[in-house]
Amino acid sequence: MNLNIPVIRLLVAKDWHLFRKQLAVYVLAGLVALCFLGLGKPWAFYVGSLTLIIVLVSAACFSISTSLVVERKEQTLAFVMSLPVSPADFTVAKLAGNLLTFLVPFLVLLAGTLGLVLFTPLPDGLFVYALLIFAWLLFAFAVSWAVAMSVESEGWATFGMIGSMVLINPYIMALAQVPAISDRVREDAVVWTAPAVAILATLAALALAIIAATTWHHARKPAFY
Amino acid sequence: MSLAFSLSGIGKRYPHFALQDVSLDLPEGQVMGLVGVNGAGKTTLLRLLTGLAAPDAGEVVVLGHRLPQGQVAARREIGFASEDMRLYRSQTLRWHMDLVAAIYPGWREDYAAELVRRFDLRPQQVLGGCSHGQRVKALLLLCLARRPRLLLLDEPTTGLDPVARLEVLEALAEVLRDERRSVLFSSHNTHDVEQLADAIAFVHEGRLVACADRHAFLERWRRVLCQGALPAGLDAWPEVAVARANGSLVELKVRDWHPGLPARLAAQGLTVQRDDPMSLEDIFVSAVRAGAVA
Repeated sequence: MNLNIPVIRLLVAKDWHLFRKQLAVYVLAGLVALCFLGLGKPWAFYVGSLTLIIVLVSAACFSISTSLVVERKEQTLAFVMSLPVSPADFTVAKLAGNLLTFLVPFLVLLAGTLGLVLFTPLPDGLFVYALLIFAWLLFAFAVSWAVAMSVESEGWATFGMIGSMVLINPYIMALAQVPAISDRVREDAVVWTAPAVAILATLAALALAIIAATTWHHARKPAFY
Repeated sequence: MSLAFSLSGIGKRYPHFALQDVSLDLPEGQVMGLVGVNGAGKTTLLRLLTGLAAPDAGEVVVLGHRLPQGQVAARREIGFASEDMRLYRSQTLRWHMDLVAAIYPGWREDYAAELVRRFDLRPQQVLGGCSHGQRVKALLLLCLARRPRLLLLDEPTTGLDPVARLEVLEALAEVLRDERRSVLFSSHNTHDVEQLADAIAFVHEGRLVACADRHAFLERWRRVLCQGALPAGLDAWPEVAVARANGSLVELKVRDWHPGLPARLAAQGLTVQRDDPMSLEDIFVSAVRAGAVA
């Protein structure tokens, strides 16, 4: 597969330029959430964790909706497709652009959360739990991206995003039912249990597989229509 | 004579529409107008020519590149603007110019500056604050300043108010006179096509109904008024596209006027009273209603 790397790089830079201000706002909001978490009070922990999840869900949805759904709706996608890019170039550019615009706030806030857990009085047992929450958000991002890339309909793309993100609620409840995970949260040590590692590995593998399969499918198309 | 593009036996099927057996060539340096009603297949044809769509049957060759395989190479030499294409409303024209200039090595900044003046645009203005006419001109500027060998325009004047439409057409006519570039533009407005095109192709319900030099169209097609009774089978004559009687007056729309026709009509009891040239719009409507190749 011959990729037009210089144009792909320009398209990724274009997405970054278009969305960088909003992403800075998400990072800022996430840092405020981390400040609440760091206060060490039960009410602040609740407000902080809830805000952090909302910020991460919003960042994921923003990245996908502005880059794919809104571009399609506002017909700027036709402008991008008129440039000298093949479907493979376009798919790779969209994947790289979306990963960049999502992963920058994601990784900044992940690092901030893990640092907060390790270097404040919060129990270190939260380290694995936080990773499990972030892993779900990464998995939901992968599902949302795959749906948005594959459907023309704004409604289905929105359904894909909301559906996968909202499922974090039953996921958190399910984690609470696993003693090997829930019992370790309050411990002051990072404990890797088999169920936690298995869930993390499964979510990471599924996210990678979904992204790879979607990229492979779209990159093989001979033309856009 | 080298060809800007060549379509041979093209077929493309969608759930509710099919383009069928279209063959069409454009010699380099010519301006061709593609005329058809909404849904006739103009956009599909242009998508095939840009490599955005792949044909189900037939062969598409653009500037020597077979599509869709050579779509990236072909699109480096194509300027494509369509009615459903929009620029980023939050960004300025300058930002778009820089993006396109970075992608196309043929971009000429001095020519872009000239077009900015000619189109009366403001590069630092955010496009969200521009009128639709200004955004269409901005899109044309981005296409033209990259110096494409082939310009493909899909309904460039659709949705414009009469003043903006005239401005865009005048600017386009001026720009096209400057260069020897090949152009295919589609429209359902025959007046636009009449102003700009050297050759004209009519598309209807996914088929190419007619294609010829503009002057040949206007020369060959005539509206003929005759006195007498409408003879049976007249509308089956190959020259006659439409035949209608109103009392003792018979109106014919003739697709291939020739000096021998009045004598043939006289032999059928019809006396030709006058023959008039037809407008392109009238020719288009008659060709579509006749349904056959003109």
